[in-house]
Amino acid sequence: MTASSIIPLFVAIPLAGAFITPLIGKKVKWAPDVIGNSLTFVLAVLSIFSVMMVSSSGTIVYSVGGWMPPVGIAMVLDGLTSFMLVTVNLLAFIIAVFSVNYMEKFTSKAKFYCLFLLMLAGMNGVLISGDMFNLFVFLEIASVASYALVAFGTERYELEAAFKYAIMGTVGSLFVLLGIVFLYSYTSTLNMADMAQVLMQKGGGNIVLMVSALFIMGFGLKAALVPFHAWLPDAHPSAPAPISAMLSGVLIKSLGVYALCRIFFNVIGMTADISSILMFLGALSMVVGVFLAIGQWDFKRLLAYHSISQIGYVVLGIGLGTPLGIFGGLFHLFNHSVFKSLLFLDSGAVEYSAGTRDLKKMGGLAEKMPVTGTTSLIASMSIAGVPPFNGFWSKLIIIIALVQAGRHGYAFWAVVASVLTLASFAKVMKYAFFDKLKEQLKQIKEVPIFMKLSMSALALICLFGGLLLVGAVKIDFLDKATDVLLEGTKYAAIVFKGIG
Amino acid sequence: MDASLFRIDSLSIFMGIFIGLFTLLTIIYSFGYMKGRKGLLRYYSYIILTLIASLGAVFSNNLILFIVFWGFLGMLLYLLIQFGWKETTSYTAKKALIIIGGTDAFMLLGLALIWHLTGSLQMDQVSIGLTSKVAVIAYLCLASGAFAKAGAMPFHTWVPDTAEDAPASIAAFLPASLDKLLGIYFLARLSLEVFRMTPGINVFLMVIGSVTIVAAVMMALIQHDLKRLLGYHAVSQVGYMVLGIGTGNPIGIAGGVFHMLNHSIYKSCLFFSGGAVEKKTGTTNLDKLGGLAKIMPITFITFLIAAFSISGVPPFNGFASKWMVYQGIIKTATNGSGLWIIWLVAAMFGSALTLASFMKLVHAVFLGQPSEEVKKKKQGEVGPSMWIPTVILAALCVIFGVFAYRVPLKMFIFPSLGGVPEFTGIWDPGLATALIVLGIVIGFVIYLMGTALKTRTTETFVLGEFIEDHPDMRLSGTDFYNTIKEIGILKVIYRLAEKKVFDIYEVGAKATLGFNGLLRYMHNGILLTYLAWCLFGTGILFWVLLR
Repeated sequence: MTASSIIPLFVAIPLAGAFITPLIGKKVKWAPDVIGNSLTFVLAVLSIFSVMMVSSSGTIVYSVGGWMPPVGIAMVLDGLTSFMLVTVNLLAFIIAVFSVNYMEKFTSKAKFYCLFLLMLAGMNGVLISGDMFNLFVFLEIASVASYALVAFGTERYELEAAFKYAIMGTVGSLFVLLGIVFLYSYTSTLNMADMAQVLMQKGGGNIVLMVSALFIMGFGLKAALVPFHAWLPDAHPSAPAPISAMLSGVLIKSLGVYALCRIFFNVIGMTADISSILMFLGALSMVVGVFLAIGQWDFKRLLAYHSISQIGYVVLGIGLGTPLGIFGGLFHLFNHSVFKSLLFLDSGAVEYSAGTRDLKKMGGLAEKMPVTGTTSLIASMSIAGVPPFNGFWSKLIIIIALVQAGRHGYAFWAVVASVLTLASFAKVMKYAFFDKLKEQLKQIKEVPIFMKLSMSALALICLFGGLLLVGAVKIDFLDKATDVLLEGTKYAAIVFKGIG
Repeated sequence: MDASLFRIDSLSIFMGIFIGLFTLLTIIYSFGYMKGRKGLLRYYSYIILTLIASLGAVFSNNLILFIVFWGFLGMLLYLLIQFGWKETTSYTAKKALIIIGGTDAFMLLGLALIWHLTGSLQMDQVSIGLTSKVAVIAYLCLASGAFAKAGAMPFHTWVPDTAEDAPASIAAFLPASLDKLLGIYFLARLSLEVFRMTPGINVFLMVIGSVTIVAAVMMALIQHDLKRLLGYHAVSQVGYMVLGIGTGNPIGIAGGVFHMLNHSIYKSCLFFSGGAVEKKTGTTNLDKLGGLAKIMPITFITFLIAAFSISGVPPFNGFASKWMVYQGIIKTATNGSGLWIIWLVAAMFGSALTLASFMKLVHAVFLGQPSEEVKKKKQGEVGPSMWIPTVILAALCVIFGVFAYRVPLKMFIFPSLGGVPEFTGIWDPGLATALIVLGIVIGFVIYLMGTALKTRTTETFVLGEFIEDHPDMRLSGTDFYNTIKEIGILKVIYRLAEKKVFDIYEVGAKATLGFNGLLRYMHNGILLTYLAWCLFGTGILFWVLLR
């Protein structure tokens, strides 16, 4: 039993949970809640443990079935992976807590947790996979589970959104698959570290450039970069609130941004062209997303457009490629998962109590729902970049990084998008929480305890998120992840060292 | 390199003292004013947080730390405005947050540019000449934050709205005193320390100052709401401070900083008095007020003193600082530029219009015949927790005016700006006060003699009725200056202003929503369109990478 054997647990635990839940859940009513929450809790603890492991012993590689890579399948745990694992699993646990109360109104909790855990297994799989084809398989597991979850309410518009999402998602996946096929034919290996080495020896060519274009399109679609974003504003609002939180909070990042970074930085190798493409797409998403968001009156749809915009910040920062830019981008990625999930949970809480998502039909809810009101305020201020909340710090770092690299134009647009973000969340706060209380809403009550707990937990992270920039936490959590991207294609050597 | 996060020098100590004073007075005032309102625990905790954040901001030396406190203040302002009870309160709060928060975002850009230029974020270690384009942009970005906080044009539109819709205690606390102090403090730090000014930027500041003075006071003339009118004056007075700092010479800068302090004193006093009127009569609409002088004598006197101060009537404090600003402007003539006459005319014209506007206000609120609404209400002065802070501020107006040189200038202003500037004009407040008092006494004697010696008999009234019985005969004073709306070019300007063409917030909102409409049109919900975009995007990617 070595340290590396916790790596497959990130897939095995949720996968097992996904199979057990529907079996037991039919007979025992409380079982799905307990299984779902305890498993995600275990995963969250394990993910924090994985950060400590990486900080003490560096990159760790697990060989599935004892077959050594590059022949066998590898699972790799390094700084970036552990960073993403914490983001995904921590959020999954908090959202699972929220679901205990929220999902009461849907009939089938067992099916919900089954799909939820399946999606989690897929995301964790993408993160730990050191093998190109496995990455694709896990990506599909997570995607298919999310298609089903979007349609979970089985209303007309939910089915329509799920249908669009499924089609566009599949198109994206096929582009990724096509890219992998070309790479495989070019390098004759599927192991990512090995692939990186082969690519270094053989050098790039037109085939690698074509693969790059396919990957940017495929993963860019998963990450909802403009112009591949159009599925998101339909899909994310249609899902039940906890799932919206998962989709916007972590799914687009682990399937989209993480995969994009891992492949371009560590396998293919960053070039100036790709860097400028990523920055351009990031800036475009950032601006277009926020302009689309500000006119929306559907609470969740507005949030969904903001996801596009915020992902733009992340990709802009990471695409810049300087240490500070990557650092800011990754930090914003984490922060965005926290505050965007919180906002979706808040929108869910409002829908739960007031029964509407239309901002025009709300008003004065802060009075009746103090916890929801306060947490929304904190999350809104975070996403708008008001100090001292976490979103401020990451935006500040991204802007400084852009200016430092001489990209003043992009910095300007980042600031403009930030102003518009503030404006649109000022709108949300005004119409939903601060205006005069509407007559028909006089009777509503605050949401139940588990929902309050999970929203408060996320609000606390927003409030103290800036502390991640201080001391050992920064070094172990953020710097280690940044280093992985900075080391570029040296990744291969590090992984091979990790095997031994 | 010394990288201390905080700095304590005379300027920040001076700011700290007055921030503390205004917070204390606001809290005392709120005990009476906010009595019986909901959520008072939150209200007072936000005020305390505002105090802490403001102190943090003035004592910060590191720009990031400064911006953290500064941005947090914007949010606290937003939350405090929400305590208002007007229909439009939440709209106003939103507007204030967007304008202030928006400029804060630009400050981040300015900060990043400073770091790019110098590699340091310590305010006392940075000194950038405004010669390159990047430096000018950095200065403008940071100054926009200061302008928005202080309420200078073009970021002023949140101030009148806030003054009208927020509780009077908050209107006095934030837009009138603390935000002014902070905004001008930061502008001073920027212009005196962080950047080395050039004549061009000085002229830019003076243009902003002059336009602010005149435009805002013109808007104030035609207002119908007591608090909103005061709000426009809060904007107009910022012009003097910006103008003073823009002169770039010691006396002008000292005048600007001194005016900042004086403004906070008299404007808080005015808002406190206005709040007292509101508390008593339940309205701030000038049409519904009148004749309160007899009912609320203390409030009347304090309001009158503060009104004299803001209009620049000697010997009150507003005159002392305006006088210094004028001298600063005249001094810029030595640079050989003939523009000084424009600034001077703007400043003096603004001062005259301020006086005119306060004549209207004092008449409409305190003099004339009481309106129906006023008569219906309970009579009498407000409670001591409301008048004590008001009286203290009125007393400060007098003290800082009469003993301008001995108390505030010597104790606070000169030490914080390092050195005593040379006065060109001769102004001895003590002597002048004595002369004015003498004049008033003589006038009073003549008046007494006149009335005592001569009795005059006239018809009581044209219609032979008691005016009190005929409310429609009442002259409220609200429409004193309505005719200026009809004068040529002013007519056009006022009409545009009523359409909010000069409101940066409204203009920005229109542009944003227009662009939003275009993008929404492209998102028609049809899957094939979306897929076509994907294909189009991929095509471009291929072209870019493989060309």
